[in-house]
Amino acid sequence: MKLKKFATAGAVMAVSALTLAACGSKSSSDAQSKQVLHWTESSELPSMDLSKATDVVSFDTLNNTMEGLYRLGKDAKIEPGLAKETHVSDDGLTYTFDLRKSKWSNGDDVTAKDFVYSWQRTVDPATSSQYAYLFDGVKNAEAVMNGKMKPSALGVKADGDYKLVVTLDKKLPYFKLLMGFPSFFPQNQKVVEKSGNKYGTTSKDMVYNGPFKLTKWTGSNLSWVAQKNNNYWDKKNVKLDSISFKVNKSNSTSYNLYKTNKLDAASLSSEQAKQLKNDKEFLTRKNASTFYFQYNQTKKEFQNKKIRQALSMAINREQLVNKVLGDGSSVSKGLVSKGLAKNHGKDFADEAYVKSGVEYNKAEAKKLWAEGMKEIGQTHLDINLLSDDSDKAKDTTEFIQSSIESTLGKSVTVHAQNVPFKTRLTRSEQGNFDMVISAWGADFADPISFLDLFTSNNSQNDGEWKNAEYDKLIQASKTTDAGNTDKRWDDLVKAEKILATEQGISPLYQQSTAWMVKSKVKGIIYNSAGVNYNFKNTYIKE
Amino acid sequence: MKKYLLKRILYMALTLFLVATITFFLMKLMPGTPYSNQEKMTPQQIKIMNQQYGLDKPVWLQYIFYIGGMLHGDMGTSFQFSNQPVSYLISSRIGASAQLGVQAMIFGVFFGIIVGSVAAVYRNTWVDTTATIVSIIGKSVPNFVLAVLLQYYISLKLGWFPIADWGGFEYTILPTIALGVGPLAETARFIRTGMVDVLNSDYIELARAKGLNKFGIIYHHALRNSLIPLVTLIGPYTVALMTGSMVIENIFSIPGIGEQYVKSIQTNDYPTIMGVTMLFCFGLVLIILFTDIIYGIIDPRIRLNGNED
Repeated sequence: MKLKKFATAGAVMAVSALTLAACGSKSSSDAQSKQVLHWTESSELPSMDLSKATDVVSFDTLNNTMEGLYRLGKDAKIEPGLAKETHVSDDGLTYTFDLRKSKWSNGDDVTAKDFVYSWQRTVDPATSSQYAYLFDGVKNAEAVMNGKMKPSALGVKADGDYKLVVTLDKKLPYFKLLMGFPSFFPQNQKVVEKSGNKYGTTSKDMVYNGPFKLTKWTGSNLSWVAQKNNNYWDKKNVKLDSISFKVNKSNSTSYNLYKTNKLDAASLSSEQAKQLKNDKEFLTRKNASTFYFQYNQTKKEFQNKKIRQALSMAINREQLVNKVLGDGSSVSKGLVSKGLAKNHGKDFADEAYVKSGVEYNKAEAKKLWAEGMKEIGQTHLDINLLSDDSDKAKDTTEFIQSSIESTLGKSVTVHAQNVPFKTRLTRSEQGNFDMVISAWGADFADPISFLDLFTSNNSQNDGEWKNAEYDKLIQASKTTDAGNTDKRWDDLVKAEKILATEQGISPLYQQSTAWMVKSKVKGIIYNSAGVNYNFKNTYIKE
Repeated sequence: MKKYLLKRILYMALTLFLVATITFFLMKLMPGTPYSNQEKMTPQQIKIMNQQYGLDKPVWLQYIFYIGGMLHGDMGTSFQFSNQPVSYLISSRIGASAQLGVQAMIFGVFFGIIVGSVAAVYRNTWVDTTATIVSIIGKSVPNFVLAVLLQYYISLKLGWFPIADWGGFEYTILPTIALGVGPLAETARFIRTGMVDVLNSDYIELARAKGLNKFGIIYHHALRNSLIPLVTLIGPYTVALMTGSMVIENIFSIPGIGEQYVKSIQTNDYPTIMGVTMLFCFGLVLIILFTDIIYGIIDPRIRLNGNED
């Protein structure tokens, strides 16, 4: 037995630990003159291939290192990107974009062909893009995605190097908004083909045309750096020299790093948020993400509107967001999240608000429940409430279970079923639930991103709520009224009001994340839908 | 010895094959798809994706393809990290986990032996009681609680070590301690029990009677015999530590394999689930083999040839 060696190794370790401890407090600080933002992410960067990316971190990073036709500014305002000028045909089906001259980070010119190539690549079934459905509405996109047409049939053409012509199947009133989403950004064919399977898997196997270019990303590591891109067309408005990203999955760790000035921002857990909510650097970021009940309306009891209303009114949503969640989430006014879209300065969520759809009213709930039970001829209901198995989802289900049972009394028993996310999705799709807590996040800042879900034949309408008037309004917003902003807006407002009045679903809360952000960091643009962060104009004010 | 080793290696291959098979079929029983945007895709789109990835084929056929690929060293491509080969994901992240695991084991066993021996030698005194209390605390306080405390007091308040991140040796110290306290407590307990027995035996009395000094007796005679039960413990413990601890890795922002495994299961990332499971399994069978060999070295009474298992 080599006990001696063993002992020596241990002793060496102990001694070196102490030695290093002594010199542990190093004094390296970044040069003050440099504009560096120290940002935190809660998970790895899985992909920089914009045809294949599926997650927030990838899309945010793509948004800051790539540039499309437009860039989304504050409140999802469309700001110039590569499109210098845009012409829309009278029928609203053809968009012609004049592109400005610009370069990729390797010096190649960014041309209209790069857009054509990128779009065709994304809709090509062989690419297996999980976001190809966003192209629905671009001419022949659906046929290409289903393998019935070749990608070259897609309604996008290059007319010379700097003119891009897009043809649509139907009017897409939110088309310009979509152009700010990374799935519609250009890709350099030469680099994609040269990199092959490695494309977008490390910072080297990529080219960039956005405000920053990515470095030091190996594909699976926990830190990377976005450096100012000197080939960017608008580099004079980019103030940061670099952004250092670190992945910290533990909220307490990122907050500790924040306190020691190693990070300029930290996302908080709900416990931390409760403690820090009065700090001047505390802020909440609203997500365009709504949590709601779906009722299985193939079942007799949930076809009864009064039963649905009673269940919805039994829940004290204020208490849910403040006491149970406590992370800055807010009570939903309806399905469409607040802060998503505005018309004439009015928020869609306020316009479409129907009090009875989301209110807490114990007395009314009891009354409606009694009436509803009489109508369906039952004295007791067992309800399976399906939800995810995260801590937050469990807390929410527990709260809802006790709210319903305490409000409606002995005639109802709620059985909470907390299952893994994927199981919840599968069971929802199969209609294997009584009530399910679902969530939806908007891909772009338009109410249709939410309202489309509850048309009769939508595959995400798991509860199968059906309403002919609702379908008609949504259809009108896409066809006859598509070209008229106000009329379209009214259609959508009316549709959401029907959904709320009929209690087709019951919105619960809009998700938010609590953050601490150093007050010296200025000019961060955050949008609740689609890509969240735009650091183009961010700077540090020392 | 050669024949024995050959036989053991054959068993190892068989074990790996069985684990691969069982895991594969169990994994396919999990509901849902490996697509992270499944929520927003229509059934038609999911069908097309399944065709692209060959997931529309019967499970047995997928199994044959998978095993075929694995025999050629191809573990497939991850779904979470698109285009990233599983072999790369594992190789780029196992290093940190393995380093931490080994360090935690060395730390735990080294100090565990000291604490255990001291407790045994001074049994039923205050030293013994203190050591016992220390090991009970070490065993019962979850390592993530300790990790958070260490991070808060040692890094944030005292500033002795970095709060998190992965750079040089100084970044590994706190996670090593957090991970190593469990094995330390366990080792101390085993060593104490073993040594109390040994110290009461006749040959120790004889050694004493011969006039050997106290530490000589402990070091040369008592410790060696108390180590045997420990070897059984260390093997699987090392594998478990080396393959990563999700919580500790998350707290100290360490690019290890621990979370990959958990996340791959949650997201139905089939190739990654298989890859990490096989790695874990391989590590375990290998360590068990080593353990058996080491037994023979520490204790010649355990003869490999005579032991058919």
